[in-house]
Amino acid sequence: MAYVIAAPCIDHLDQACVTVCPVDCISHDPAADRKAYIDPDACIECGACESACPQGAIMLDSRLPGAWAAFAEIDRGWWIDPEWARAAVDAVDAQVA
Amino acid sequence: MVVEIAPRTFADGPRTFADGPRGVRRAPDFADNAVLVARDLLSPTVARLVVRPDAGVAPFVAGQYLALGVRVDDRIVQRPYSTASDPEHADAHEFLVRHVPDGALTPRLWELPVGSRVRLGPPKGAFTLLGDDQRAHLFVATGTGLAPFLGMLRTLARRQNPPRTILVHGAARTEDLVCGDEIASLAAGGLPMTYVPTISRPDDPANRAWKGRTGRAEAVLASVLRSAELPPEGLSAYLCGNPGMVAAAEIALLAHGVAPADIHAERYWTAAATTA
Repeated sequence: MAYVIAAPCIDHLDQACVTVCPVDCISHDPAADRKAYIDPDACIECGACESACPQGAIMLDSRLPGAWAAFAEIDRGWWIDPEWARAAVDAVDAQVA
Repeated sequence: MVVEIAPRTFADGPRTFADGPRGVRRAPDFADNAVLVARDLLSPTVARLVVRPDAGVAPFVAGQYLALGVRVDDRIVQRPYSTASDPEHADAHEFLVRHVPDGALTPRLWELPVGSRVRLGPPKGAFTLLGDDQRAHLFVATGTGLAPFLGMLRTLARRQNPPRTILVHGAARTEDLVCGDEIASLAAGGLPMTYVPTISRPDDPANRAWKGRTGRAEAVLASVLRSAELPPEGLSAYLCGNPGMVAAAEIALLAHGVAPADIHAERYWTAAATTA
């Protein structure tokens, strides 16, 4: 399991999660990304990011509601293919909105 | 929910969400940047690790934590540990680490030769002393949750007029009441401190010789609050360690009349306790 950053982060990017993450596993490209991404392989499930997020955007992947289920794959995918992840974020955001 | 990627020009042509990401996973840049300079066994299950960053100790505040990691194959296995060091005099970070037999990290930390390269993250966290707070400071720790309080006590001991301090330290076994000598030397050096160690398993044969307090830290806290003449408005409380202790101690402090804003907590979370 790992924590995932879901839709409420989009276009907010508060980054409180980045500040508190003890293992520095949250990142984004400020010039290109609309949200931050958690590296699921580095996440230690401490929950510090979940508590810190003012948007309530972060939760364990096992607790993602159905409408946000894709974000587990999006977060994992960003560390492989950021362009794919950005397109997916745009698509999910358009569908949720 | 089926996610469809809106039409978009990718470098390698059109695709859908279902095609998945393409490429090679980029791991975060976790270069080894520090050296394990000492490992002292304080008990059979608790060690003090001293780690010196290559670039020197970056500014930090007592009570903060840093990620300590070792390289395993092509990745870093890391966990956060509170530093016990005094920010004014640190040329390295001291960590109290409890050995978890089946853990991903601590068995490696036990076997790692002194002098080995490790990864140390930046200092983080807001579990820190309030500046110029002259109210009585009440610290409650279980196990290695003592670590941030060592840094805080060292910080307070440097003040010209340090506040009254009470330290409640709970452990299952007497052998895990580590750093008692250091705590005593801080008190002998002028820090007005009451040290209250307690053992939660008095019937354990390992604790046969223990003559001090018994009971869980939160239970002892309740009696300390009753007996130490600590008015709730004159108290800053700091809690660190087992999440169950932290929750119970918060309830005891609130019942005593301490304002929520005067209760500061750092939980050593459950997942780490079982997988460190």
